[in-house]
Amino acid sequence: MSEIDSLKSELESLQADALQAFSAADNLNDLQKLRVQYLGKKGALTEVLKGVGKLAPTDRPMIGQHVNKTKSALAAALDSTEADLAVKAKAARIEAERVDVTLPGRSKGKGALHPVQHGLDEITAIFSQMGFVVAEGPEIEDEFHNFDALNIPAEHPARAMHDTFFVKQMADQPMLLRTHTSPVQIRAMKRFLAEGGEPPLAVVAPGRVYRCDYDVTHSPMFHQVEVFKVDRDVSMAHLKGVLKHFLSTYFEKEVEIRLRPHYFPFTEPSAEVDIGCVFCAGKGCRICKGSGWIEVLGSGMIHPKVLESVGIDSEEFSGFAFGLGVERLVMLKQGIPDLRLFFENDVRFLSRMGVSK
Amino acid sequence: MKIPFSWLKDHVALTATPSQIAEDLVRLGHEVEAVEMPRAAVIGVRVGQIESKQPHPDADKLSLLKVNIGEAELVDIVCGASNMGEGDKVPVATIGTSLPNGLTIKKGKIRGAVSYGMCCSEVELGLAEDSAGLLILPVDAPIGAEVGDYLELEEAVFDLSITPNRGDCMNVRGIARDLAADAGLALAAIELGEIAINQAINAPDVAVAAEKDCPAYLARSITGIKVADSPAWMQARLIQAGQRPVNGVVDVLNTIMLDLGQPMHAFDADALDGDIVVRSAVGGEAFSALDGRELTLNTDDLLVTDSSSVIALAGIMGSAPSGVSESTTNIVLESAFFRPARISETRRVYAMVSEASMRFERGVDPAMVEVAMQRATAMIIDLFGGSASEITQCGDADKINAERSVKASVSRIQSRLGIDIPVSVDDVLVRMGFAVTRDGDKLAMTVPSFRHDISIPEDISEEYARVIGFDEIPELLPSLATTAPAMPDRSVHDAVAAGFLQVINYAFISASEQRLFVAADDLDIELENPISDAMSVMRRSVWPGLLNTARYNLNRQQSGVSLVEQGRVYYKTAAAHQESNVIAWLMSGEVEQDEWFDAARKADFFDLKGAVEAWLTLRGLTGRFIADDSIQGLQAGQSAKILVGRAEAGRIGRVDGDIASALDMDAPVYVAEINLDLLSAGKKTKFAPLPEFPGVERDLVFLFERGVSSDAILNAVKSAAGKLLIGARIFDLYDGKGVPEGFVSLGIRFALQDAKRTLTQEDSDAASQSIIAAMDKKFGATLRG
Repeated sequence: MSEIDSLKSELESLQADALQAFSAADNLNDLQKLRVQYLGKKGALTEVLKGVGKLAPTDRPMIGQHVNKTKSALAAALDSTEADLAVKAKAARIEAERVDVTLPGRSKGKGALHPVQHGLDEITAIFSQMGFVVAEGPEIEDEFHNFDALNIPAEHPARAMHDTFFVKQMADQPMLLRTHTSPVQIRAMKRFLAEGGEPPLAVVAPGRVYRCDYDVTHSPMFHQVEVFKVDRDVSMAHLKGVLKHFLSTYFEKEVEIRLRPHYFPFTEPSAEVDIGCVFCAGKGCRICKGSGWIEVLGSGMIHPKVLESVGIDSEEFSGFAFGLGVERLVMLKQGIPDLRLFFENDVRFLSRMGVSK
Repeated sequence: MKIPFSWLKDHVALTATPSQIAEDLVRLGHEVEAVEMPRAAVIGVRVGQIESKQPHPDADKLSLLKVNIGEAELVDIVCGASNMGEGDKVPVATIGTSLPNGLTIKKGKIRGAVSYGMCCSEVELGLAEDSAGLLILPVDAPIGAEVGDYLELEEAVFDLSITPNRGDCMNVRGIARDLAADAGLALAAIELGEIAINQAINAPDVAVAAEKDCPAYLARSITGIKVADSPAWMQARLIQAGQRPVNGVVDVLNTIMLDLGQPMHAFDADALDGDIVVRSAVGGEAFSALDGRELTLNTDDLLVTDSSSVIALAGIMGSAPSGVSESTTNIVLESAFFRPARISETRRVYAMVSEASMRFERGVDPAMVEVAMQRATAMIIDLFGGSASEITQCGDADKINAERSVKASVSRIQSRLGIDIPVSVDDVLVRMGFAVTRDGDKLAMTVPSFRHDISIPEDISEEYARVIGFDEIPELLPSLATTAPAMPDRSVHDAVAAGFLQVINYAFISASEQRLFVAADDLDIELENPISDAMSVMRRSVWPGLLNTARYNLNRQQSGVSLVEQGRVYYKTAAAHQESNVIAWLMSGEVEQDEWFDAARKADFFDLKGAVEAWLTLRGLTGRFIADDSIQGLQAGQSAKILVGRAEAGRIGRVDGDIASALDMDAPVYVAEINLDLLSAGKKTKFAPLPEFPGVERDLVFLFERGVSSDAILNAVKSAAGKLLIGARIFDLYDGKGVPEGFVSLGIRFALQDAKRTLTQEDSDAASQSIIAAMDKKFGATLRG
């Protein structure tokens, strides 16, 4: 066999061996080694090229062509195998990194606002957005702010109805736990006037109140929100308008309201406020005792004696006021049947009925 | 107060249905708690006559009855009662009837015998609370008739809640007056009855020595009566009105009180010693009340006395010895007007509420004082015989509440109500007893004697409003100035977002709970009249409440709790008292549960410290935690005070083991508390350009003697590292194998950066060297290899 033929067949068998080796490679690393082995500077093809020197110069171009053909065939085979392996490798990696997406995510324990807190926030926000200013007052009160200034004199039967907690003598006058948030009405008006203000004055006063009464439907501590507005020409129609807006916003639907004449010493006229039952839409159910109405709060036009007690001229100004029980509204909105649940603080109740914010 | 419909109809010829009347009452301001329908409640119960009675073959106590209820066939009934015989007429509840007790009658089989109905007692008909067997009806009861019709059961009973200002409506006539005026119907005249005065009988001698508290007092003797039970109709009415029949005389007086609103009292004349004197107590006098209580009276209590004893706490309760019994034959009747505030005060002092005191303290109608006396005399003589003396009269009831008038302007009432008032409403007020004069815009009203509650123009506007009906007032939104609402307090919200559950506990705790975390110092605020000892002191720390909540929940299969509470704490100060707003946290038990990625972990000090730090960061604040072994109730070595700015604003630590184990809490309990009132406004972050050049981080690990605080170490690092330092922190803490006893290995990672250039190896080497030198000099700490 001539040198040429021998080189040719050497190239052919090299190509055949290489292609077989390429197709046998099952990872990119091995393939890279094969690339070096065949096409590298010290690779097999280079070795073959060394034999070209022994050829007659006239034969060299032909063999050169052969070598280049072989080289590009191998390079193409390497590239295509490499692409295949890259796809396979990615697929394998994806498979290896597969996770069970249905396993729970890592998270911290979930907190929740107490449902009463959420109720307070919601109620206060509604009035705040309407332009009422938030005010607070002390929970340990004197008799003047809790009773006298609100037109509840000592011998008044309504005073006894308040089931008042008294604290043991500590100052120069009897002190008590406020039985309602109405004393904030007095304090807010006094402060406002002392700062040189003149009505209009519109206030929302959320807070804790206390009654010496403890059974299935009474808690010795609960939350109220007092709302009032004093201005020229404030009328009962405004009271009804504000109540309607508030209650519809709070219950997230248009609610019917009904005012019934009632008696509170600090308002005249006074009215209990009912809403169309939010459970049966007024048809009559167990919650509304078949009446279609649920009592939600007490309201009225601020008694002139209350305005006069802080030095507001009741001829010139008038006002409306109402006080609502937060627990009661939250119970109605969230369908919570038992007041005691709020203060038992069972975390199962708090997690379920509380609000995460 | 319960008012039978038929009783109302005695005063006014009402034609409306009970449910319409209930609506009218609500509109007029009388809350209707319920409308009971006794007659409708027993529809389907019919008069039946027992034709035959056989013993049940398989049950000794049962009988097999065949009952005629006026239908073609007799009805088979198995009956367990024994007081009936053949020929008796009894109420029979037929199949399908629902009884007041909720039972619905169905065809049933009792020990093999089929029963098609039920014979009823008073109890099953809702007429009594107990009975001795079936209700046996009179022989002339028509077979087949509805028993409710035959017994003339009340069509409706209104259960009303009368507001304290409307004493005039604490009686049937008062309610009737409102309804009659509203409906434009006439109010019937009160029948006084004929009384033949026996001049031979001496009228009682009465002196009133307390005219202010007792402006009118009437008394009369009635002799020779024979007290018997009151008639059935009266007893039925009293029961329907929620009162218990006592004896004939008392029942008459109660009937009149319910009817006219005037409470009266009857003394046994033979138990009295000498003249009657109405006076104020001198203090220290003894009184044996009808309810069995023995009182020692206070000065100023208003009394009715005879020569030797107190025979009544005026307007509230009579004495036991002077009361009327079955054997009484001679009585002295009292009808009076007592000053409301006087009755109210005495009633409160002795916590002694009676039907009489409820009416007197709200104010009775002075015009009824004599009317009631006449009515009672006539009824007693009519029912129980006897003859009456003249009335002894002290004071003049006509002068009480006389000639009161209120002036108002129509335009002002309209502006306060937001509605026009038609002139026609005046007629309703006239029917309610007011004299109304309109002169253009001016309104003048004379107030009737029974309306103690009317004195100012606003009272008039309420009268108009309730007559028109509050429903007629439109709903208008007032114009409100838009003010920038203050930023709401987010304190508890931020803690909740960090994973804590908010709880709300009562603000009062027990004295022993108070002492857990606060030493005794006379600053506690105690309640005069607590619900119980467990709720007797205003809390000075939120921790006791949180501890109780934690224990409650850990006892209910919770593996861990993270709780937060915001509220006030209360304590005395020299001048007055202080209420501070605080937020408090508690962590105990597992903060991380077993998970597929990690093992469970119990809360430790640093879980809670981290929560407090994060909470402070949200408000632009940082806290310095200063070890403090002296915090009451916390374990030394795991407790700290929290300084925010210059204020000692809080405390944090592990609850003392003895306290926790006394509460059966096994896992360590950590608590923290911050006084919100002591926090200053947080720092407002100012813009700073982002660094253009990279920084470097280096780690150095030292051996420190145990007990050196990391705060001190980091402060030393900061002062040693030079002005390139932008941060330093502890990244590793190790005291295991390889660390000598009494030492800890601390890893410090610090970062350097310069805004103007890229740092060099020399920069970081220099910082490292000065830190190493400082650690050695300050703490004797050596660099670990």
